Amino acid sequence: MPATTHKITDHPPVIRQLDEAAINRIAAGEVVERPASVVKELVENAIDAGATRIDIAYADGGKTLIRVTDNGCGMRPDDLPLALSRHATSKIDGADLLDIRTFGFRGEALPSLGAVGRLTLTSRAGGAEGATITLSGSRTEPVRPAALNTGTVAELRDLFHATPARLKFMRTDRAEAQAITDTVKRLAMAEPFIAFSLCDVSGGGAGRETFRADAETGDLFAATGGRLRRVLGADFIENAVRVEAERDGISLTGHAALPTYSRGSAVQQFLFVNGRPVRDKLLVGALRAAYADFLSRGRHPAAALFITCDPRRVDANVHPAKTEVRFRDPGMVRGLIVSGLRHALAGAGHRASTTVADGMLGAMRPEPVGGAQVYRMNRPGAQSVRDSYAAQAPGVGAGMPPGIAPDGFAEASVPSARIEPPPPAEDGADALPLGAARAQVHENYIIAQTIDGVVIVDQHAAHERLVYERLKRQMAENGVRAQALLVPEIVDLPEGEAERILARAEDLACLGLVVEPFGPGAVAVRETPALLGQADAAGLVRDILDELAGAGESGTLQSRLDAILSRMACHGSVRAGRRMQAEEMNALLREMEATPHSGQCNHGRPTHVELKLKDIERLFGRA
Amino acid sequence: MKINIERGALLKAVSGAQSVVERRNTIPILANVLIEAEGETVSFRATDLDIEVIDRTVAQVERAGATTVSAVMLHDIARKLPDGALVSLTDDSAAGRLTVEAGRANFSLATLPKEDFPIMASSEYSANFPASAPVLRRLFDKSKFAISTEETRYYLNGVYLHVGEAEDDQVLRCVATDGHRLARIDAPLPEGAAGMPGVIVPRKTVGELRKLLEDDDTAVAVSVSETKVRFATPDITLTSKVIDGTFPDYDRVIPTGNSRKLEVDAAEFARAVDRVATVASDSSRAVRMALEEDRLVLSVNAPDVGTAEEELAVAYGDEKLEIGFNAKYLLEIAAQVDRENAVFLFNSSSDPTLMREGGDASAVYVVMPMRV
Repeated sequence: MPATTHKITDHPPVIRQLDEAAINRIAAGEVVERPASVVKELVENAIDAGATRIDIAYADGGKTLIRVTDNGCGMRPDDLPLALSRHATSKIDGADLLDIRTFGFRGEALPSLGAVGRLTLTSRAGGAEGATITLSGSRTEPVRPAALNTGTVAELRDLFHATPARLKFMRTDRAEAQAITDTVKRLAMAEPFIAFSLCDVSGGGAGRETFRADAETGDLFAATGGRLRRVLGADFIENAVRVEAERDGISLTGHAALPTYSRGSAVQQFLFVNGRPVRDKLLVGALRAAYADFLSRGRHPAAALFITCDPRRVDANVHPAKTEVRFRDPGMVRGLIVSGLRHALAGAGHRASTTVADGMLGAMRPEPVGGAQVYRMNRPGAQSVRDSYAAQAPGVGAGMPPGIAPDGFAEASVPSARIEPPPPAEDGADALPLGAARAQVHENYIIAQTIDGVVIVDQHAAHERLVYERLKRQMAENGVRAQALLVPEIVDLPEGEAERILARAEDLACLGLVVEPFGPGAVAVRETPALLGQADAAGLVRDILDELAGAGESGTLQSRLDAILSRMACHGSVRAGRRMQAEEMNALLREMEATPHSGQCNHGRPTHVELKLKDIERLFGRA
Repeated sequence: MKINIERGALLKAVSGAQSVVERRNTIPILANVLIEAEGETVSFRATDLDIEVIDRTVAQVERAGATTVSAVMLHDIARKLPDGALVSLTDDSAAGRLTVEAGRANFSLATLPKEDFPIMASSEYSANFPASAPVLRRLFDKSKFAISTEETRYYLNGVYLHVGEAEDDQVLRCVATDGHRLARIDAPLPEGAAGMPGVIVPRKTVGELRKLLEDDDTAVAVSVSETKVRFATPDITLTSKVIDGTFPDYDRVIPTGNSRKLEVDAAEFARAVDRVATVASDSSRAVRMALEEDRLVLSVNAPDVGTAEEELAVAYGDEKLEIGFNAKYLLEIAAQVDRENAVFLFNSSSDPTLMREGGDASAVYVVMPMRV
């Protein structure tokens, strides 16, 4: 079997200029990876052309047809051939590559597309005639007149027909269609004032509309909110807090979901820089850091964040696909995201996401017995109605819930619920968000009544969070105490690493870790945070460095301190099984309302669930 | 094997051995004690592979032999038998059972073959010397509080027993430190100890050793090699591996130039520290000491809990000084002072502080301050 060789086979090697077709195919390899990247390039062109309506159609996962129709400014007939040649663009004049205000600027998308498929551009600029041009395998056909409204139709057929190898790496039509949908949704999120529609025309004819977002109205924030609701669903927007922060001309807006609305993977993280969807390590890391205190390992926050800044302060020209960006001042951007999100989440206070209550209602609602779940009215199934009658029937029956023993033991097994007479002093407590405590059940759950529903509170989880927040506040106010070491611990590090940690020495000292230079390639740890007891200083320094290398910022020390506080909070809080007086329960509810982040416990689980009266009525078929 | 033994003697011998046995074992026989009967003595041997204890006692041996049986079980049985009972232990090796009989109580315990019991390899000891129980007790008791529990610097997880250089003479010295404080205790050098290698005696061994030293009159034979240390009384032999590591050069961190001298009654000082530390909420428990002319003010300030302050009359003649310490560290070193006043020697609020008992330089403690 011939081994793959990287050697040049001709002897002696001859250096030659590649022809235009080959150059374009190579360039296309960078930009056009799969049908979704074609859609991205064409839709971005449409947005740059100032369109207010963009219709996308594709067939067979985009392999046979991708068509993007916009009502933007269009192109004049004599510009068309130029548009298809390399490094031709109307978007920049080349004078200042640092000041880029459009999606595209490299001037290579259209010729690249022409290199890997049959590209037809049909366009009409205002006040000019419509015209069409076709580019196939880098061979341009002459411009012909065509009839259409102002705007452009870009059509790419038979993607990768010239590069069968690429075609082989395509996934299934369904997977490619999914990727196209994701791309369109991402772009749509950032452009709420543009109407989008996405059609699958695989079978021919008008096709099937798979996504539609009408143009939103109102101010930018309301429009973005409306668009996110359209794209991500009502659940997200109802469980998200509004994020708005600005620092030194960089602004952060968007929506961040409550910690209790966390996801099992990072699928609902949408980050935009100047309207451009990105997947940037720095930004994703900052998002994680902002939520670090609220989510357990393995849970991921959901958010749609838009960063807007002077284009000169961010370099989008890092990668041809432009999914990565480089900021002039990454530390500042990270700080802005972390503090902006923390601030917004703190404003959410005790809110727990409604999905928690929905999940609970879903669990409570009886499933229909047998058969496929075709159509379900909001009414219990026949079997569950029988069960519930049986459970209520007098005497010992099969349907009797366990725990209620026959006569004789009745007294011993009184369920551990106590009903509090409504405390007279708490008039008007119903009107507060968490209501007035009415009862404690199983010595752990507080049932409170609000004006339009019922709140169930897990007393241990709630109190643990309250104590934790208090301890953290104390630490922030009093500072972290540092215990000096008798023998400074010398940690050997690669030279650059030592400098990296010393650059942060001041921040670390604030958290009680004092490091000093100790010759090249080593640092001396002089003091460690007293809270950590006999800390493994060398291990701590290495962990911090690993994180500095990965994210440019380290939360290791802070999170170690927080972990200790969290443990202290667990021991210092009201346990499950403790009977509470009405006054105590009400006090807990009021403190939850006043404390930031009290909607979830230290592990990201909700501390309370709210059931709206209308939900309860639905459970009983009274809706 | 068949022996008759008085319950008190059995309990004493077994309890000495069983405390070495780890509660949870992956090797079943490590939970057992090896009983060996020969002549007029019975020995009970237990090990955790790092420490081996052999406890000997006089018994009436009807039939010599050896077997192993669960140490915890045998100890519990002996403990629950009535005082003064005569206990007989009979081994039936064919059935793999040991019968324990006392009066009308009868136990039959599962045994494991004695051949499987790990015996610690004997070592060539390079130094053998006698030491009295009170001397050893002082050396280890006063230093063990400073042993580190942090595993990464394993060489600090014990007491460094070695020959040290005091001002005028060589001494037998114990040093322990956890990086925050240090204890250095000296005793006159016993004859024959001069050439001993320095060894780090593990924390657990220090705890076990303490049981050998209860009686003031006990003479202890100490043997030291590079890898092992042995303490032997007529009844008990404790052999332990030592920590394989280099103890740091502690002399560098013991300050010699500290000139600000504070003299205070140790018990009174400890009680005051304990009182003000009550309001310190977090586990770091920082106590501030403010010193001026013959006056010491101890204070704790925890904004959310409250403040505490206590004034002590002391002997202090230097300029004003404010310094913070972990209350636990102060209490632990103050507890080591038993005869005279505690003498603290300070330099500045960020330098190590030295403490000793009166003018006695044979027990010296160093503690690092805290930034408060």
